Amino acid sequence: MVSVRYEKVTKRYDDGTEAVKELDLEVADGEFLVLLGPSGCGKSTTLRMLAGLEDISEGEIKIDEARINDLPPGARGLGMVFQSYALYPHMNIENNLSFGLKRMKGEEKLSAEEIKSRVDEMARMLGLSDELAKRPKELSGGQRQRVALGRALIKRPKVLLMDEPLSNLDAELRHQMRGEIRRLHEELGCTTIYVTHDQIEAMTLADRIAILDKGELQQHCPPMEAYNNPANDFVKGFLVKHLNDIKETADTLFKS
Amino acid sequence: MSGERTMRDWYAPLEIYTLSSWLRVAVVVNICLLLFDYLKSDGYEYSLAGIALMITLVYSLPDGSISWRRDVSLALSGAVMLVGILSVLKEPAGFVIWMESWLIVPGAISLYWISSPHVSRWNREQMELSKIEKGLARNAEHSASYQRIGKHVILAHFAFIVLLPVIWIIDISLSPGNALGGSLGDSFTTEHYSKILGGDQFWVWMTNSLIVSIGTTIAGLALAVPAAYAFSRFKFSGRDPAMFSFLLVQMFPGIIILVPYFMVMKTLGLLNSHLGLILAYSVTALPLCVWMLKGFFDTVPRELEEAALLDGCSRFEIFAKIILPLSLPAIAVTALFSFLAAWNEFLLALTFNTSNDMYTLPVGLASMISSTGQSWGDFAAASLLVSLPVVILFILFQKFLIEGLSAGGVKG
Repeated sequence: MVSVRYEKVTKRYDDGTEAVKELDLEVADGEFLVLLGPSGCGKSTTLRMLAGLEDISEGEIKIDEARINDLPPGARGLGMVFQSYALYPHMNIENNLSFGLKRMKGEEKLSAEEIKSRVDEMARMLGLSDELAKRPKELSGGQRQRVALGRALIKRPKVLLMDEPLSNLDAELRHQMRGEIRRLHEELGCTTIYVTHDQIEAMTLADRIAILDKGELQQHCPPMEAYNNPANDFVKGFLVKHLNDIKETADTLFKS
Repeated sequence: MSGERTMRDWYAPLEIYTLSSWLRVAVVVNICLLLFDYLKSDGYEYSLAGIALMITLVYSLPDGSISWRRDVSLALSGAVMLVGILSVLKEPAGFVIWMESWLIVPGAISLYWISSPHVSRWNREQMELSKIEKGLARNAEHSASYQRIGKHVILAHFAFIVLLPVIWIIDISLSPGNALGGSLGDSFTTEHYSKILGGDQFWVWMTNSLIVSIGTTIAGLALAVPAAYAFSRFKFSGRDPAMFSFLLVQMFPGIIILVPYFMVMKTLGLLNSHLGLILAYSVTALPLCVWMLKGFFDTVPRELEEAALLDGCSRFEIFAKIILPLSLPAIAVTALFSFLAAWNEFLLALTFNTSNDMYTLPVGLASMISSTGQSWGDFAAASLLVSLPVVILFILFQKFLIEGLSAGGVKG
């Protein structure tokens, strides 16, 4: 059972602005949660606090009932995919994938053969077997994205975090990777938190979505329910306006 | 049709474009030469007249609408050429011929091109569209090669000016005796080199210089790299004032800290030692090294470090495994910079290390110029030998240097 719980979590910056206000949120085991909201709503900060890249000002974050507030990022058992991929440019793909594995501690420490077999397995799963000796520079955007995904998954993380992972890809690749991410999630069953402002991604990927605005949770429910039953005016405006935009575009396209 | 009118307005034969830029360059060169004339206190009336005529010529080149402009510019080109020729006739020495050819050759080219059939036809008649199109195609075909010729002429002159002292010093070092005069390549000997390389002194100085420079490079980097990383990544109180004071220190002329430095070194007993110089140099070079490296570290994306944090790296591991390998080009540039600074430094070395066997190369070289007699041949040979390691370093690090100087090109 891997669940994540935010309990009255607040992020306050030095200048007093609050990016996240008393957030209560629960992510169930194996669930795919999408944090959705306009830019500046605190969704990335929420994710980064869990990852340990931002301090938590108040409240607690628990993974499996264990308080992780003061655990260093590497010890939290997380994998993260960044928007810019953040692959290590001076290492080849194989080393990019195995970099984290070589740094596992204690019981989790892996032998060289295990590392090798895990890298091969992950490369096969993502269709990267032929690219292992290449540097990130030599790969296409989609392949880099896969490597970033592989680097996050190879440690068999308790929770997989993704921060707008598809926003640097073109429409076609985005569509393709969306399918792939969903497939991997179903295959591995790993608890996932995914940050995006793209409603299509949210709709197609999520088991549940959490809509944030100005650091406050607006609605937390399965995606269709938010459309059918928006909790307040903000959710209604945010979701419905988008649908209307799509409808309008389609209308003008097909009318002519 | 407006398209046709636009084409007619914009079209001019290639000769006109090329002349207008070449003549401007020639004007600048002639102004430099005029300055030279003035400093030599030769007569400069001819040059002055030539420049005035040339400037007028640039602004009266044919423009395709007023046909008499062609006649004016032809007359001016001839005048420019004439002034040059008169000046040469007055004093037909090799150097003067070179100088005045900057008047004669541009004048001749203008004369030839402005009277060429392309220009005269364009100047005389309203051209048809098809002819304009042909003219444009001709311009496109030849403009690249004309530009290449122009650039190479200028570059050859500058290369010659830059290389002249080097060639001269090589010639002196290979000529017998210790005179500065004589023409190039009139005699050949390696006596100066064998004297320098055969003596013990030079090798003692070389060893001192190497120890001090390599020591400075290592000590300087060991201080600058972590400092620059901290300045780039961490927020701490006094960070901005510290960066600023680094710059401020850099602005003092070195000579005003010479006396306090000397007192400190004396108290510490570091006079006439390698360590004293290494300490002084690495501290002096530190501000610039830190600024250079910080600038590079700033370009390494933060997300890379965050990814490494999640992969379980400690701060130090991130620094050693991610930042350092990525910054190698920048570090190479910084290393070379501190090495050069230490290798060439004179004042501190002269003040701190007073005994002959602790001299560094620059001080040693200077000591060769005694008050009684100048042994220029030995001196030239020694200077060339001193620059040799630096040249070798540059050639070795060339690839790194170019990468490092275009820092920021490293992308994830």
